[in-house]
Amino acid sequence: MALSRPDLSALDTALIAAHQADDREAMAALYHRAAQAMIDNESMEEAAFFLTQAYVLSLDCGDREQAAACHRQLVAMGREQ
Amino acid sequence: MKPIDRTMLGQVMAPVATARGLPNPFYTDPEVYELEKAKVFAPSWVLIGFGKDLAEPGMAKPVDHLGVPLVMVRDRDGQIRVFQNVCRHRGMILVSETTRLKGVLRCPYHSWCYELDGKLRSTPHVGGPGQNIDASIRREELGLVEVRSTVWMDMVLVNLSGTAPAFEDHAHRLIERYSEFARMPLYHGGPDSSFKLEVKTNWKLAVENYCESYHLPWVHPGLNSYSRLEDHYHMYEPGFAGQGSSAYTPGFGPNGERFAKFASLSDKWDKCAEYPSVFPNALLGFHNDHYFTIMIEPVGHDRTIEHVEIYYADPQMLGEDYAAMRQRNAQLWKGIFVEDIFVVEGMQRGRAAPGFDGGKFSPAMDGPTHAFHHWVAERFAA
Repeated sequence: MALSRPDLSALDTALIAAHQADDREAMAALYHRAAQAMIDNESMEEAAFFLTQAYVLSLDCGDREQAAACHRQLVAMGREQ
Repeated sequence: MKPIDRTMLGQVMAPVATARGLPNPFYTDPEVYELEKAKVFAPSWVLIGFGKDLAEPGMAKPVDHLGVPLVMVRDRDGQIRVFQNVCRHRGMILVSETTRLKGVLRCPYHSWCYELDGKLRSTPHVGGPGQNIDASIRREELGLVEVRSTVWMDMVLVNLSGTAPAFEDHAHRLIERYSEFARMPLYHGGPDSSFKLEVKTNWKLAVENYCESYHLPWVHPGLNSYSRLEDHYHMYEPGFAGQGSSAYTPGFGPNGERFAKFASLSDKWDKCAEYPSVFPNALLGFHNDHYFTIMIEPVGHDRTIEHVEIYYADPQMLGEDYAAMRQRNAQLWKGIFVEDIFVVEGMQRGRAAPGFDGGKFSPAMDGPTHAFHHWVAERFAA
């Protein structure tokens, strides 16, 4: 289900808080959620950006499953090798 | 920079009875110190750290090795690797403090990600926002620059130039002599068995002082009470020199309690302890119940840090029951090494005397010291 504007705003606030706390697991999850929201909105450029953020942070915190999921999506979009 | 005088190098490499020591500029001239980095350190196997600081896979520790930023990493298979601590993108330092990496090694600048074996894994947004590939960015060519490294007796050694013989060949006499110790696990004593001393001297004077036993009765009278000068012998081998004692009789508890011995040592080690200086910068201490390494870290032509790490033979020695004995042992060694500071600093100050000719060696007592001077001179003559 596509996220409404207030939902996106809440996500943005949560992301800023996670960045400030250097909570990488939370950042990875939030970026992944943002990416899915953009995919649902068919905003693929934004989706690729957020997916990239989620991918890198998943790699960083050793979340292999989420990193593999992001990687698969990025490769399918022609954004990762 | 003035060229090094080859006649002078010849004098240093002469037989011990006629040789002179390395002359003043080798201790006082920052330009010679810079030259040493290329002539002495880069082509050699140099101690930069300890495996015990990388206890688990994923541990990474940055090292400033003579101004070169390196990072030691224990990969997922448990192997220790050493890389230049520099991102291949814009040269950013990757790791600033000892850390346990849960996943990849991520550059804090633009988040290029490297596997722990150095392979470049991802280059986020490198082709524009959300585009992580670019035809000009060939990941297979942009892995971390790995530095040749090896681990022996928990020492992480590197050969920056990549031109030294394999460590096993280069140090085969050392490895052979101490194979009884090297085949067994070492257990670091923990925080109470680790200390460092900052000394106002050139690194070579710290090494030189460790090579010989001549100074023991004068500088370490306490040591002399149970390990007399006549109980010491010298060692000279390719790549290392030093001295040993044939009267090692430890007792660290109030009633002479001892640490557990290394298992299966030959009879020689019942009484012997040996202290080889492995050139250029690893000073070792072998005893039947503990072992230590002193890493000599040059931080300037007249500044040196000595890092001391003490190990035991049995994990039981790391427990609370042995804490007081471990502390006593560490204090004993620290006391001895502190006693040496005034001589290594005094010799450094002495090098300000114009015309000091490098000094005379005693053929009977300074053989290992001369062996070290000879080794350094050989590197400059090469």
